[in-house]
Amino acid sequence: MTAQMTSDAISISDEEKEILQEIMNIAFGKAAADLAEVISIFVRLSVPEIAMVQVIDLPAYLRSEVSCCEPISIIEQNFWGEFKGSAFLVFKSGAEKELISLLDSGGEASFESESLEILERETLMEVGNILIGACVGKVAELLKDVVTYSPPRVIIEDNPDHAIPESLLDPSLTAIILKTVFCFHERDVNGLLFLVTSQESVAWLKNALFEFMEQYECA
Amino acid sequence: MNALEQIFGTVNIGLVIMDKELKVTHWNRWMFLHSGIAAEQIVGSSIFDHFPDLNSPKFTRNCKAVLAFGNFSFFSQKLHHFLFPFKPVGSFGAKFEHMQQSCTMGPLRGDDNSVNSIFVIVQDVTELAVYEQKLMEMNVRDGLTGIYNRRHFESRLKEECERHRRYNRKLSMIMFDIDFFKKVNDTYGHQCGDHVLKGVSSGIASIIRKTDCLARYGGEEFCCLLPETELGPATMLAERFRAHVMEMILLYQETEVRVTISLGVSEFQEDDSPEMLLKRADNALYDAKRTGRNKVVAL
Repeated sequence: MTAQMTSDAISISDEEKEILQEIMNIAFGKAAADLAEVISIFVRLSVPEIAMVQVIDLPAYLRSEVSCCEPISIIEQNFWGEFKGSAFLVFKSGAEKELISLLDSGGEASFESESLEILERETLMEVGNILIGACVGKVAELLKDVVTYSPPRVIIEDNPDHAIPESLLDPSLTAIILKTVFCFHERDVNGLLFLVTSQESVAWLKNALFEFMEQYECA
Repeated sequence: MNALEQIFGTVNIGLVIMDKELKVTHWNRWMFLHSGIAAEQIVGSSIFDHFPDLNSPKFTRNCKAVLAFGNFSFFSQKLHHFLFPFKPVGSFGAKFEHMQQSCTMGPLRGDDNSVNSIFVIVQDVTELAVYEQKLMEMNVRDGLTGIYNRRHFESRLKEECERHRRYNRKLSMIMFDIDFFKKVNDTYGHQCGDHVLKGVSSGIASIIRKTDCLARYGGEEFCCLLPETELGPATMLAERFRAHVMEMILLYQETEVRVTISLGVSEFQEDDSPEMLLKRADNALYDAKRTGRNKVVAL
């Protein structure tokens, strides 16, 4: 049904945008609190920004958003539920060295046969998996959805053009982009998190937003 | 037994389900076959009672993330090698002490959608890991002599020059080739030539440090990269190479074959490129050849 959707079906009203922003804000707040409480990762997430971009223009959009901190490392993970799409976590290259100390490996660090490169890659993936899972999971939870994830993928290069999985998003569609800046406490690491969801999720999203607001209106 | 239970029992991957306290609730036959621990023995007890090594920050952090966020966690073979210390199946024991595993962990939800347990999927990827290791070896080694190949040497050279530049470390290189190698081939045949190449490279390989990088650069031409080494000690080492080869008696089909080598030594200078270091060693080697062979020239 999505392929037949006309482009005006995507249009999200300003009010809906605001609700979505509020949901993201609550979700990311909860995610940050849980990350600190459950696994002692202290992260601050900024108020998310919402943008609508044609899928075909996504690479250009991402490129312009990250041009400030090239070269970059991108961790990409897809999520599936009613709420589905791709998450991109963008770090400045070299951040992985700082991130290794974020994860307490408890003396596990003796990967003698492993090159540092593999360790750094795996660290990026684990941090990405945890951050993306926490943020996406909380959004889904608020909207009463359950999502599953693909394994994270690290794209270490300065060309985000290859970062968009072509199969996942129909290029004729519009994507909703939720962008947030995050930084770890007491560590000189920050980055960007993009949640890109396609038009296919919009009908469901509008409905979920409506139901989300309803519970407050009833109260 | 219903269909899903039968599949759970017979599928060729390990499946484990744990509750929120990480007590095992399900343990499939695959896990029994590889661990020797029967489901009856482990169900109801903590996973750590049977596998204390799992009680690491990484494992518990991921369990918490699964329970708290409904996250999935992935334990790659590359970094973790395995979660459960099982014996490798088949003839891979020589390469790996333990079965190489790729593991996935994820949430299981109750009727109200809240996460109430964790599943772990264990895949045996030992065979793949063995092939990968073999491919990696083939990619960096010279097929005949077993020492590094030119491709690997060139990438190491680039890395070491980079390191030299960043940390201002010493770096030297010895380039050498076998004198009158064509004569060996012409007199005793190419098989004998190959035998000499193998003998010389294994002889030199036995007297260098682990951190040095010895490679076959061309036909009978070799390079040895010496990190943390100045020109003086590098030249002394080159002299040892020369003496060592000169004293070597290579037996080929009951014929004693003796060869000598000529060597050029160079040291990385400020503002050098990898090519310049190589070029100077090559020039030094050329000088050694030109001025009598079986000798060392440092530039």
